[in-house]
Amino acid sequence: MLREEELKTFVEGTTNYFEVAAQQPATIGSPYLTEGAPSVHDYTGVISISGKREGVVYFTAPRAMLTVLLMKMQENDFSHETMRDLVGEVANTISGNARRDFGRDFVISVPSVLAGEKPEISQKPGQRSFIIPINWRSHSAKLIVSLT
Amino acid sequence: MNVAGADRNRRLVTAGAGTALALVMGLALLAGFRLATQIRSSITELQTASELQTYPSVLTQQLTALRQRLETREYTGQAHEELAGTVARFKHDLRRLARRSDMQSPQLRDAQRMWQAYSPLLAPILAFSGEPYVDTDSGSSLSDSGKMYYRNVRQAQLLAKQNVGRLHRLLTAVTRSLETQTSGAAARLRLLLSGGVLAALALAAAAAYLQLTRARHERAAREAQEQTRDILKTVREGFFLLDADYKIGSVWSEALAHIFGRNDFAGLSFEKLLEDRVPPTTLATAVKYIKLLWGDRAHENLMKSINPLGQLEISADNGRGGKETRYLQFDFHRVVGAKGVKHVLCSVSDITSNVLLARELQEAQENANAQVDMMVGMMHVDPLQLGSFLDTTETGLQLINAILKEPARTDGEFRKKLGGLFRELHSIKGEASALNLMSIAQRVHHLEDMVSELKKRAELSGNDFLPMVLKLDELLAHLRGVREMATRLTALKDAPAAAAPAAATRQKPSPAERPAGRTGEDISPTLRALAEKLAKDHRKAFKLMLSGLAEVPAPYVATVKDCLIQMLRNSAVHGIEASATRRAQAKADVGAVRVDFRRAGEGYELVFEDDGAGISPQVLKDAALRKNIITAEEAAAMDTRTAMALIFRPGFSTQEEVTMDAGRGVGMDVVARTVYGLGGKIGVSTNPGRFTRFKIVLPAAEAASSAVA
Repeated sequence: MLREEELKTFVEGTTNYFEVAAQQPATIGSPYLTEGAPSVHDYTGVISISGKREGVVYFTAPRAMLTVLLMKMQENDFSHETMRDLVGEVANTISGNARRDFGRDFVISVPSVLAGEKPEISQKPGQRSFIIPINWRSHSAKLIVSLT
Repeated sequence: MNVAGADRNRRLVTAGAGTALALVMGLALLAGFRLATQIRSSITELQTASELQTYPSVLTQQLTALRQRLETREYTGQAHEELAGTVARFKHDLRRLARRSDMQSPQLRDAQRMWQAYSPLLAPILAFSGEPYVDTDSGSSLSDSGKMYYRNVRQAQLLAKQNVGRLHRLLTAVTRSLETQTSGAAARLRLLLSGGVLAALALAAAAAYLQLTRARHERAAREAQEQTRDILKTVREGFFLLDADYKIGSVWSEALAHIFGRNDFAGLSFEKLLEDRVPPTTLATAVKYIKLLWGDRAHENLMKSINPLGQLEISADNGRGGKETRYLQFDFHRVVGAKGVKHVLCSVSDITSNVLLARELQEAQENANAQVDMMVGMMHVDPLQLGSFLDTTETGLQLINAILKEPARTDGEFRKKLGGLFRELHSIKGEASALNLMSIAQRVHHLEDMVSELKKRAELSGNDFLPMVLKLDELLAHLRGVREMATRLTALKDAPAAAAPAAATRQKPSPAERPAGRTGEDISPTLRALAEKLAKDHRKAFKLMLSGLAEVPAPYVATVKDCLIQMLRNSAVHGIEASATRRAQAKADVGAVRVDFRRAGEGYELVFEDDGAGISPQVLKDAALRKNIITAEEAAAMDTRTAMALIFRPGFSTQEEVTMDAGRGVGMDVVARTVYGLGGKIGVSTNPGRFTRFKIVLPAAEAASSAVA
């Protein structure tokens, strides 16, 4: 069973990124559970985890949110590639946070980025994921933690 | 005597002997120096005495030569001068020899006496300064003074001749005496020097022994130091000493640095060591405990039993820039010296892996126990009922998840969720308790606790809901386990009918199993099981009499069941009195709870009645005041009917303590809300000390469907 501190590590990794990169903290919406493949936004950063826990952690955000985030970061390039890089960077921060807190117990992959398409993750039947809405300004992204 | 004492004594003896030898050597050298000085002086005097020996014959010769010259009228000046010089030297040397204090030779005294007798004869000779000759025609002749001079010379020469032998012998004897003295002194000097050399050798030997002993001790000390260092380097526990000021000493084991991630322990206070790593209250307790250890009357074994740091949870750096929780075990031993407690030896072990392992084992044990309990509980539950319960519960949990899923950003939005979550959870818990499925009931109770805690917080955010969603996930996983277990149990119980699907799975009962096809499941067994459990849990004795429940139409089964479960729990907790109380009030020992469901006109009527303590409007008002549901003015203005209606208010409970069955104030409001939701009505009547009666009127089932829609 996933522990509270483990879940918090992923959450803090995500909110810290907004605080540092955009100097504007993100807040957590009401967390809930979902069964089966979770729905994603336009851009999704994926980290695979093995070791003490097995599964994936996604950060998925709509294009509009990423655009505003880039603007806050004084970026002028709003291309598809920049969006991908940005989501990858968030996933990388989450991964770094997890490495720092969990150490050798978790084997964490290099983040990969998906645009638009649903991530093809092999989930056990009936496996639930934790969905944590990440609210920033008027936008909302999702942190999806799907670990067993 | 211990080894250290013997060692100290040996060193003292060696040092004493060394000092004595050095003193002896110093004295010998001092005496030798004095003797050497004396010998040197004796040698000089010996030389003088040797020279003195020659003077008598020289004087005789010089006087003879002077006489001859006077007789031959030759020049006498030089001879006179030589004589005067010899006399002066003789006098000088003799005086010098006589001045020696230790020179007590009788020969010297005799020689001195002889000289004293002789020297007056020489005095006029030496005093002569005139011309001894006078020239005449016949040649030179002695002048008058010359004649006198000649007579004196002749007299002195004659006396000298007579005494020369004796004086020589006397002076020779003096010389010999001096020689004897000098050789005696030389012999003593040799002896002293030999003694000094021996003392020096002994001193050198003592120094060598001391050096060897010291070298051996230093080697032993070095080896001991090296061994101590190896121990401190290798040992897995953190060791250090605390002084009377509760500060760490200058030596500690290497493990301590690994445990605390620092290396600057020397002089660090125990308080500082744990500061920022443990909560302030724990720190204060730990410091108090350390102070107690210094008390002379503290009993070590007793102190050990009250050690507050036996398992200390600390926050430590994980070496990757993050923090982690670690568990440390501190152990204390007093180091007692002659004057009381000298130090306190502290050992610190990192028992994180042990604690986690023990925790995992405990969890595994609890899970195993829970599974057994669950299995035993499930064996007593009708498979149909269990299946229905699992379906209902799963639906309820989905509803809870749906409430959580509702987007929320503000405190108000988050707070709005709490009421709905509470009601759903309470309903699930009631049914789980009724079926004696305690592992589920307890999990839901825990979730209820979480909601209660959140209600008390001043400001709510999404972070506050993270533990709840984790618990919800765990509950869903547990439900799945229960369902799987139920399937297996059913398969075991009904092996020949294995082809038929397990009742506890999502399969619904067949129409043939349902009475008349229009009514739902029979909820009587559930209520009887719940009544039995409540009676046992609350030590109450009551009889449950049910009628007409088999006639409850399917759409009302869940509602009627929820309502009855809640009312039955209320009766068991608040209504039915303990047997002794009942007896005192001339009531039957065993209480009675009656449930009657029947058709009434187009709809239905459910009556629930117990012969318990009834409800006192004043008690209700007092409880509502305590919980700030109403104000004092409202309470004063409230009539009995309005006061009775308080039991249907959200958050109302007359019980202060929250238990599995009552105290949260969620229950009758859920009943009322559900009844109103179905288009029904609920009423309560009571007679304090006699009875409480709830009457629920429900519309026809079709009407209820439209009301819900």
